[in-house]
Amino acid sequence: MIQLTATPASTLTDEPVHIRATGLRPSQIVIFQATLEDEKGNLFHSQAYYKTSEVGEVDLDHAPSLGGDYIGVHPMGLFWSLKPEKFLTKLMKRDVMTSPFLVQIKLYDSNLPLAQIAATDPKVSVTLERWYRAPGVTRIQVQEGHLRGALFLPPGEGRFPGVIDLFADIGGLIEYRASLLASHGFAALALAYCDYEDLPLHPEKIELEYFEEAVNFLLRHPKVLGPGIGIVSISKGAEIGLSMAIHLKQVTATVLINGPNFVFSTPQVYRGQISQPLSFSPQLVSINALGLAQFQYCFEEARSKASETFFFPIEKAQGHFLFIVGEDDKSINSKAYAEQATEQLRRNGKDNWTLLSYPGAGHMLEPPYSPLCCASKLSKLHLFMQWGGEVTLHAAAQEHSWKEIQKFLRKHLIPVVTSQL
Amino acid sequence: MDPTLYLALHRAHYRSLCQLPMFQLTATPASALADEPVHIRVTGLPPWQMVTLTASLKDEKGYVYQSKAFYKANEVGELDLMEAPSIGGDYVGVHPMGLFWSLKPKKVFRRLTKQDVMNSPFYVTLNLYDSVHVQVSTTDQPRASQTVERWFSGPGVQRVQIREGRVRGALFLPPGEGPFPGIVDLFGGRGGLTEFRASLLATHGFAVLALAYFLYEDLPKELEEIDLEYFEEAANWLLAHPKIQKPGIGVISVSKGVEIALAMACFTKQVVATICINGPNAIYEFPLRYKDLVITPIPSFMERVQIDVLGAMRLRYYKGDARDELNQKSVLPIEKAQGAILFIVGDGDECLNSREYAEQALDQLRSHGRNNGRMLVYPGAGHLIEPPYTPLCYASPHSLSSGILLWGGDPVAHAAAQEHSWGEIQKFFREHLTQTRSKL
Repeated sequence: MIQLTATPASTLTDEPVHIRATGLRPSQIVIFQATLEDEKGNLFHSQAYYKTSEVGEVDLDHAPSLGGDYIGVHPMGLFWSLKPEKFLTKLMKRDVMTSPFLVQIKLYDSNLPLAQIAATDPKVSVTLERWYRAPGVTRIQVQEGHLRGALFLPPGEGRFPGVIDLFADIGGLIEYRASLLASHGFAALALAYCDYEDLPLHPEKIELEYFEEAVNFLLRHPKVLGPGIGIVSISKGAEIGLSMAIHLKQVTATVLINGPNFVFSTPQVYRGQISQPLSFSPQLVSINALGLAQFQYCFEEARSKASETFFFPIEKAQGHFLFIVGEDDKSINSKAYAEQATEQLRRNGKDNWTLLSYPGAGHMLEPPYSPLCCASKLSKLHLFMQWGGEVTLHAAAQEHSWKEIQKFLRKHLIPVVTSQL
Repeated sequence: MDPTLYLALHRAHYRSLCQLPMFQLTATPASALADEPVHIRVTGLPPWQMVTLTASLKDEKGYVYQSKAFYKANEVGELDLMEAPSIGGDYVGVHPMGLFWSLKPKKVFRRLTKQDVMNSPFYVTLNLYDSVHVQVSTTDQPRASQTVERWFSGPGVQRVQIREGRVRGALFLPPGEGPFPGIVDLFGGRGGLTEFRASLLATHGFAVLALAYFLYEDLPKELEEIDLEYFEEAANWLLAHPKIQKPGIGVISVSKGVEIALAMACFTKQVVATICINGPNAIYEFPLRYKDLVITPIPSFMERVQIDVLGAMRLRYYKGDARDELNQKSVLPIEKAQGAILFIVGDGDECLNSREYAEQALDQLRSHGRNNGRMLVYPGAGHLIEPPYTPLCYASPHSLSSGILLWGGDPVAHAAAQEHSWGEIQKFFREHLTQTRSKL
């Protein structure tokens, strides 16, 4: 009898699942397929061909995929290689508290061409729950002073290291990383800064005082451990995170994912001092064979001519930095910016940083098993913006970096109690 | 990052610079064969002005294709695409025809192919904008514009619909009495009848039979076997035509068509010059039948399909190994082929391991003491190597399977391969088909 097991059946979305099939014919080609429907009804699929062992079994922890959406031994390949039916749709969980993503794993016991899978019934299937928060995590809508966002708290008594979670300036509130961080013991504030509730749609400047208010809010909170606050930030969020680390001494651990070491687009202002953006050269865009636009080098002209004052005085920051770079980032020149920032630190005799550079990883580095979104339609332009990344390498980078991010935050936010002899 | 803000800011800044009216855009010739280059020049710009040049085309089904590039005028406000490099956009560097070969469909994965090759050209509209427009909106007005015609046949070329015996296709004849070197033109697994290569070759002095073999008129809807006698019938019919040179013809083929072309070269004496573009030297998918001979196909391994990040299928590793001992009966006995054989290989072919097949075929020739084979390998070129300036189709749906197939190719390298190989194709046929004439 054919059996398909996937355990655990209900997990946090950043935890692995063990998939196995037994009772098949020996040395036979079978197909595993995963299907997920997002909250808007968009369907995502992935498939992989495996060969059963001499005893008619396949264990995805050990067996290599022969073809399909990934090849080689990748126990979680079916998850991170999910692809949208509708071209370039990004998978993003909006409701992180009350519902999981349901992922259906299906097994076909014959060697069908891909085109026929949709019209065929699987031999057997199981459905898994992938949650964005652990049991007991609470979500508190934040509307304190100017602040707009959501605070996620781990279950239990006591205080937890506080982290501010910042995404790019696409607007709205993205909550899934904060809810996952809370599931791993952090008090995480998903902080919006544009196009959310009464925040401006397109702010003319980024006021660092807003983010300072967020830092103070967290530190005041009875469930937040001090004295330092961490930041997890990506893209434009990382530009802000870097600025926060420089100006606010309460920021002691800053994770910068694929961010710049200068201001771009919207200027920043803090206590009356304006940091002007580097100018963007749209003519340096490069469009690939399928019409996907790569903006990676659009700051190079300005960068090469800019005086030092345009680059963040990163040596003034007192806390620690973790730079996370996707070397295949096609939207911004992440590797070059991180290298320039760390070189500046080195020149100033600082060793308060770590750089993790991932070959083949793109811009959108997310928690593990998130499918790679290699390009997105830009809101107002009829253009697709490439994020970059090679599927398998990007997945490995997500797995590795997520662990490193948590280790880094714990190391620099939780004081080590040393016994004094 | 959202670049919309930058674009708005910079557009406003550049607009204020441009109060001058008389920009001139010239593209010559305004009407030409689609495989001929166009010289694009702009004058009357402010010195060092950044401009956007775009090209757009609407195909016969109404699908729009577009391209753009950003250039900087020189110190006297002139721009000559033969000399100036594009700074960004759909291509970078000096590429006088870049706007043509980098045309991209607005609806992704569509492939540009001219259907009516006789009565209408493609109209390509070239527009000049006086600043950097990463995306041209409907309210943007070009400062200068010209439309050029791209024809797939020249004056005097005749098209004759062929329904002789079993043969189905279209014969393209150059103007004049002839006789002309005869060529059979075979496309691949998309079926139907693709005519534009045949009509262009006819414009260059060859008599070309664009030959359909399935999914056309009363031919089978699906390919289930290759009946080589059908192709021999077509070759014989062509050779019997009063305007076709004797005693031998050429065959040009791509992809699946290459199996047929090589089989014709091996088993029929009518074929004396064969061009094989990105195709196998062995029989795959369906058996080949010629009189008593049946060649069974090398099996494919469905499980070896690879799906790329955009969901397109890479079939390059899908087919069984033609060098495997067990598959040798399916490999075409190329040492039996008469005449010359030219393999044209795109090294970036994501659909077939074209280079491997060509190399094996040449090894086979050499091991039998034959030296009538040659290979041109183009690094970075993809599967669909077509006449020059044809936009690169990187992936598109295919009729033999559903889903999108990945063809591959780096745009610049692919364009260069198309330009170079087209010259080589004509040289090869002139050399090997005209020679037969001089032997008479």
